[in-house]
Amino acid sequence: INDYMDERVDSNDPEEMFQNIQYQKEIIANIRTRPWPMRRKLKVLKQAREIVLKYEGRLTRTRGYQTAGADLLKKLSRVLYNIVVLFIPWEVRIKKIESHFGSGVASYFIFLRWLFGINIVLTIMTGAFIVLPELLAGAPFGTTRSKTIPKEHLASAQDLDTIWSLGGYLQYSVLFYGYYGRVRKIGSAGYRLPLAYFLVGMAVFAYSFIILLRKMAKNSRLSLASASDENFTFCWRVFCAWDYLIGNPEAAESKGAAIVNNIREAIVEEQEKKKDTSLAVLISLRILANILVLLSLAGSIYIIYFVVDRSQKLEQEKPELTLWEKNEVVSVVVSLITMIAPSAFELVAQLEMYHPRTSLRFQLARVLVLYLGNLYSLIIALLDKVNSMRPELSTSNTVRISFLATISQPEADSLSTLVSDISTSEHRNSAIATIAMVLDVTNSGRSSSGTISNQTALFEKNTRSQQEQCWETYVGQEMLKLSIIDMIFTVASILLIDFIRGLVVRYLSDCCCWDLESKFPEYGEFKIAENVLHLIYNQGMIWMGAFFSPCLPAFNVLKLIGLMYLRSWAVLTCNVPHQQVFRASRSNNFYLAMLLFMLFLCMLPTIFAIVRYRPSQHCGPFSGQEKIYDIISETVASDFPLWFSKVMSYVTSPVVVLPALLLLFMLIYYLQAIARSLKFTNNQLRMQLQTERTDDKKKVFQMAAARLQAPEAAGDKKPDQQESDVTSQEASIHTPSPRRNGSVTNFQSPVRRGNSIRTIAQSASRTDLSRGSVAGSVRSPAVTVLPKHRLEHIPNSKHVTSNIMIKKTIRPIHPVEAAGIITAQSYGGRRGHTTRYVIVNEHEPRKKLLRSATRIPRHYLMEESAEILELYPRNIKRYTPQEEEEVEEGKSRRRMSLGKAHRPRSLSDLHQPPHFYIGDRVESHMSVAKDSHAARGKYGAHVESYVKPKTRPKLETPLTESDSASLASSSDQQNSSTDQYIQVIHNKERYLKSDAKQGKLAKKKSKTSFDVNVTESNDLVSSNV
Amino acid sequence: MGNKQTIFTAQQLFDRYRDLAPQLVPLDYTNHPDVKLPYELIGSMPELKDNPFRQRIAEVFSEDGEGNMTLDDFLDMFSVLSEMAPRDLKASYAFKIYDFNNDDFICKSDLEKTLNRLTRNELTEDEVRMVCEKVIDEADLDNDGRLSLEDFQHMIVRAPDFLSTFHIRI
Repeated sequence: INDYMDERVDSNDPEEMFQNIQYQKEIIANIRTRPWPMRRKLKVLKQAREIVLKYEGRLTRTRGYQTAGADLLKKLSRVLYNIVVLFIPWEVRIKKIESHFGSGVASYFIFLRWLFGINIVLTIMTGAFIVLPELLAGAPFGTTRSKTIPKEHLASAQDLDTIWSLGGYLQYSVLFYGYYGRVRKIGSAGYRLPLAYFLVGMAVFAYSFIILLRKMAKNSRLSLASASDENFTFCWRVFCAWDYLIGNPEAAESKGAAIVNNIREAIVEEQEKKKDTSLAVLISLRILANILVLLSLAGSIYIIYFVVDRSQKLEQEKPELTLWEKNEVVSVVVSLITMIAPSAFELVAQLEMYHPRTSLRFQLARVLVLYLGNLYSLIIALLDKVNSMRPELSTSNTVRISFLATISQPEADSLSTLVSDISTSEHRNSAIATIAMVLDVTNSGRSSSGTISNQTALFEKNTRSQQEQCWETYVGQEMLKLSIIDMIFTVASILLIDFIRGLVVRYLSDCCCWDLESKFPEYGEFKIAENVLHLIYNQGMIWMGAFFSPCLPAFNVLKLIGLMYLRSWAVLTCNVPHQQVFRASRSNNFYLAMLLFMLFLCMLPTIFAIVRYRPSQHCGPFSGQEKIYDIISETVASDFPLWFSKVMSYVTSPVVVLPALLLLFMLIYYLQAIARSLKFTNNQLRMQLQTERTDDKKKVFQMAAARLQAPEAAGDKKPDQQESDVTSQEASIHTPSPRRNGSVTNFQSPVRRGNSIRTIAQSASRTDLSRGSVAGSVRSPAVTVLPKHRLEHIPNSKHVTSNIMIKKTIRPIHPVEAAGIITAQSYGGRRGHTTRYVIVNEHEPRKKLLRSATRIPRHYLMEESAEILELYPRNIKRYTPQEEEEVEEGKSRRRMSLGKAHRPRSLSDLHQPPHFYIGDRVESHMSVAKDSHAARGKYGAHVESYVKPKTRPKLETPLTESDSASLASSSDQQNSSTDQYIQVIHNKERYLKSDAKQGKLAKKKSKTSFDVNVTESNDLVSSNV
Repeated sequence: MGNKQTIFTAQQLFDRYRDLAPQLVPLDYTNHPDVKLPYELIGSMPELKDNPFRQRIAEVFSEDGEGNMTLDDFLDMFSVLSEMAPRDLKASYAFKIYDFNNDDFICKSDLEKTLNRLTRNELTEDEVRMVCEKVIDEADLDNDGRLSLEDFQHMIVRAPDFLSTFHIRI
């Protein structure tokens, strides 16, 4: 922290001040994300605030008030948020459950609440745009035929029986489609109710789709687990296993058991994987299992359809058979299927040998499909009936009517007994209800044929002699009935299965011969997955019936509220958490995917009915129309200006629609292609990241290994810091000191263990790396070795120079140090610095470095610090204030190196000095340089010598040294030799500078300007040519 | 577990802190009294008492590293474990919690300890060893045989339910 805080630059340079303020602001903004203790955070925050206030006060005076205002606003928003939380329904309740049972169980309630929200919106839509206008402005009850209860029903209209089966007054109310008037415009404002009805009906689906998809997209954005190839099974099982929310010993116990199970499963799975049991067998088993499941699904659907069909045929052919019996047959079959099939699926799932979680998902999906299949086949049967009834209307069949009379009575009974029939499973009930609906419609169709033959007296309950039956109302009625029965069943099951069982287990376990709590009945488990599936099923019914019964969403809202309270009560009082944890957290899209699937499939029958069937002639807002959607075209034709209908006719013509479709397809294809390519890029980037990290680490380890050989243990911590320097270039604020040390280490490492050439290579490449991160193009001209390429090299490196203009002034720093070090030690491995130390020679042209080795460092010390203060390569604002420490380190380093300098050096050091001396003459240098590296060095030397022959000998020597060192070292050297090239150029600049000092060039040019460089390079090129 | 608000004021947390040991904690904090609650009290909070890592949590967040917490440490703990804390912050503290020997790497011994706490020593040694190997195999990007903070973060931010489980309600 002190590092940060020392950075207050008391300069009046507005730019610098601005940067500093920006930096401090950054600190303030990110303070929350730092893994620091509170005290440190507070301190840093306070200091940063002070600085910002101080400097910003200089810039703008109002700023202080602004921050105070912002603080106040933040506090207010917190209070507000807490108040808002109070109004989020059941937040407290859910959190209580969450803290008892963990996030899994809570996810069910969160899902329930989310559905509740959707249903609220749907209720508002239907309520505000359909129900309320109809109630306020529509024709009142009893004024029109569709709003009047027929006289023969009036007597029984208030019977509990009738009300229970949603007949009587309920049937002729805003609950159902049939009640709504067909008048084009109602009220004084001319509200177009039929149009609104249709539009709202569609909007219900549209809204549900949009909200679902948005939620899914948000969830998938939230969970970064986009790539399936990344597999952290064990990691997640270990590190994310514990639910920190759990604050209940029982829950903790079962969670612990679940974790053990989970890990064991993973181990077993892993061992299985290793066993590599013939994949072919497994695949064929899975295929077989899927075929079995599909077969059973198809079978169940067929059986339901067949039974419904058969019951109707029976009904037609055998009048003596009571409907009760027939219903029994159908419902028994359906309930058998819904009871047997899931357990059959479970058996089949064992064949597949999936992971338990996967198999649970499969199981859920299959059960969902089964539910859907049952529901669907019944509805299709119903629609089939609606369809086939139509022709019957015209042909009166007296024979049938005679036995229909007998049928009608028991049928009504069956409807009313429907409710008392809640015996085993809800699906059975739903099946009964739906079948009853089918029969109802059949009956109504027949009754109309009865009307024709004037036998109205026979049909007491279901027949409406003057009116054709309203099939939409029936569908709505049956959906509402289904929903009600489902609710009753849920309540009953909660009370029976959970509550009573819990009571029995708790209070009777003492007087029983076995332990009730741990053996047979136990406590009821809260099965998250099954319960969620039930919610989805429930919502599907709502979507299916909402068009025909506008109040269905409102009813569902009530139902969900009741369910919420009952369930949460039951969970808290008499449930234990599920042993096999189905991890479906908020970010899991599985529930939502199932819900989306359900929505789509529940929308289809409604859409189909709207498109396919003719609306009832005497009831509902669309009566008298050929098709329900005609309302749109009618409205367009009558209420909009002529041009609009023309435009509409164009737009809806195939000429426009087909290309639009085509365009859509193309768009989809295009987007998909983009998504694919993005995925590909994503993968590649990840691979790249991984390899780079691996490379970095390898280098660091090599360095660390080499360091172990070095006698001095002082720099032990350096590799880590340097490592973090490279890897966390981006996290600049995080690691300011390591980074600083990074550049320092570059000098230290070679000094300490100059005997290992490999180490030299390492350190050199590291230098290169850290530098390369600033000037990206440094590496590019690395590989060329032939003297031929020299011409390309030189401009290239010129380019590089321009890239690293910022760094120019730092360069001399290194040479200074290097000079101190190298002259003392005659250290040969440090190409980069060796090259630079020539500059030092230029800088102090007449100095005898060898002789004055002990003096020079101190002399340069001052200069170095000054230069760092001016321009430091990495980040000015961040590092400028650190010059003192830099100097300190420099000093100590120098002292160290000096100390060493007097000691006898290792092999490489020992044979380096000769090089140095030999280098005094070009010829000798040439003889040393044997390969391309050397040759290149030579050319570089030539360049230099061309510019200024005077300094040639001194310049060449270090180059030779470095190149000879690179000869000995590994291929990593390529990079470093490039580095060297850059430095050669720099040397030249420095050299120019010194030239300027000598008066040969203008002083302003010596400020390392571009122009000089360019002209220089031109010079060089021409000279080389 | 009375209050279920999402955001707490320092006052509420202070009340919680003080409730743990009313005789130790003064009401007046203006002079920054040097008060530490011993780990025994912290670990017996209902929010923590069932947590297998309660000791580690207390150690990581306490300044003395032994689980004795000042008010600052206490506030710190709940700020990190609150719902609003950013993901990276949570990840770095999770790393510290699982790094039992405080060497900035999760090595095998750390993993073994984690596993044994998590499963209450129900796994056999072989199983533990295998799980440790697998974990390192999966998450160790640089093949150094242990998990660095970067490895850990890379792994944990991809976990679907890390955020929803790594927090504590008061």
